[in-house]
Amino acid sequence: MLSEWIELGRGLCYGGAGLAFGLAGAGSAWGIAIAVHQCAGVLREKPELFGRMLVMIALPGTQGFYGFIAAILIMTQTGLIGGTAIKITLGTGMALFFVGLGCGLAQFVSAIKQGEASAAGISLIARRPEAAGKAILFPAFVETYAVVALLATVLFIVFLTQPLALGLVAK
Amino acid sequence: MHPTISNISQWGFVSGRISALEEGFLSREFFLTMAGQENTDDILRNFQDTFIGDYFATGITSDELDSVFDRCFYEMALSLRNDCPSSIPADIFLLKYDYLNLKAALTGKSTFLFTTELLPQERLSSITQGNYSELPQPLKESVTPATFEAFQIDAGIIDIALDGSYLRHLLLLANAIKSSMIKRYITEMVLAYIVIILWRAVNQGIALKRYQQYLLPLGDFTGVVNDLIGANNQDAWQTIIGDKIGDLFNESLGSQTDDQISIFNLKVSNYLGRIAREGRYQTAGPERVFAFLSGFFTEMQNLKLVFTGRLNRIDQGIIKERLRDCYV
Repeated sequence: MLSEWIELGRGLCYGGAGLAFGLAGAGSAWGIAIAVHQCAGVLREKPELFGRMLVMIALPGTQGFYGFIAAILIMTQTGLIGGTAIKITLGTGMALFFVGLGCGLAQFVSAIKQGEASAAGISLIARRPEAAGKAILFPAFVETYAVVALLATVLFIVFLTQPLALGLVAK
Repeated sequence: MHPTISNISQWGFVSGRISALEEGFLSREFFLTMAGQENTDDILRNFQDTFIGDYFATGITSDELDSVFDRCFYEMALSLRNDCPSSIPADIFLLKYDYLNLKAALTGKSTFLFTTELLPQERLSSITQGNYSELPQPLKESVTPATFEAFQIDAGIIDIALDGSYLRHLLLLANAIKSSMIKRYITEMVLAYIVIILWRAVNQGIALKRYQQYLLPLGDFTGVVNDLIGANNQDAWQTIIGDKIGDLFNESLGSQTDDQISIFNLKVSNYLGRIAREGRYQTAGPERVFAFLSGFFTEMQNLKLVFTGRLNRIDQGIIKERLRDCYV
């Protein structure tokens, strides 16, 4: 295999890692901002509700960590961190690029939508503080799909970087 | 209804405030109970827990009693307006104060209540001194120097011209904000207001021709005004008005003659309230602010009705009949 192709595969792979944490981080920041705006308005009238609101604000932040986990996993599995750098074919590099992109997009959208769901939950808590337990469930449902995306990403990264997938084992 | 929340961040703060404030809205049962109260002290005690409780706590004189409900609404609207990315939802409700001040200025008064950014104290004072270039654009559309001369001869013309300008101004504001719900509310409100203005004129025996001269133009409603004025009798009005407002007009004709306009007003108010309350289900956005202010205005009207009604020993049955539908 030409070394240029291997370099290209490696570049694509780390591009995917960058997209995973970049998009996820951006989505989380956006989602938190949405929830915080709503929360700040509620706290202006009812400062005593801060404790109940805190979890709702923090929820959209988890996607940023999921993207970070995906990026770190790509870096460790390909040997960029803590090991010998392995050869990555163009095909595997492209696959990892799209895995990273898919993960980033899923985290990006889910973080924003979770921010909106949190904002709606915050409104509910403001009107009926006793419903805080139920209100937290709504954004938690959105979280499910961020977790599913992370799991799929982890599985893809682990299996795409197995020796068989990399074409390093004789058939 | 409102499937997207594209501007949730911008409207988030004020919508969060509203979510917290909504808990303070009173139910219809509260008003019905209050309407049945005989003891003034009991009434006052119950009012301590309402939005105007703070105003009563600081002590008000009997002269201030009439304006305290307006002041409470005005201050709430102004406070929310300052937190909104667009002032239009609050301006729509504050506009009536501007036009009351404008009327005061045009009749030579120098004391103005509840001024806003649209017509601040300085601008109103300038109008009082005869500087008509300071008049808001919607009013300039219908008045000429000859109109001002007519003002001196017949003060009633001021009311007609200001009503027309107010309605034009409302339509302008509604068109300036991207909200189908607010536009619908204002359109229906303007139509209902036109009907009330002309209906009152008919009852008072005022020549309707002068409404064509000073109330118009009113955009899409100009034709309706002309048709209503041209109709030979009120039986034809329902068809001309059309849709829901036309139905409400027809229903109101079934009441006693003296009460017809106030019954129509009540029915329209409840209908508009139902339109506005659609905004309650939005997480954030201009409709949310609009819905809250609409509900808050209704709350103030109900509080005023019950409070002043009971203090003046008005029959509780009449008060209960005149209560508007509540926000909650």
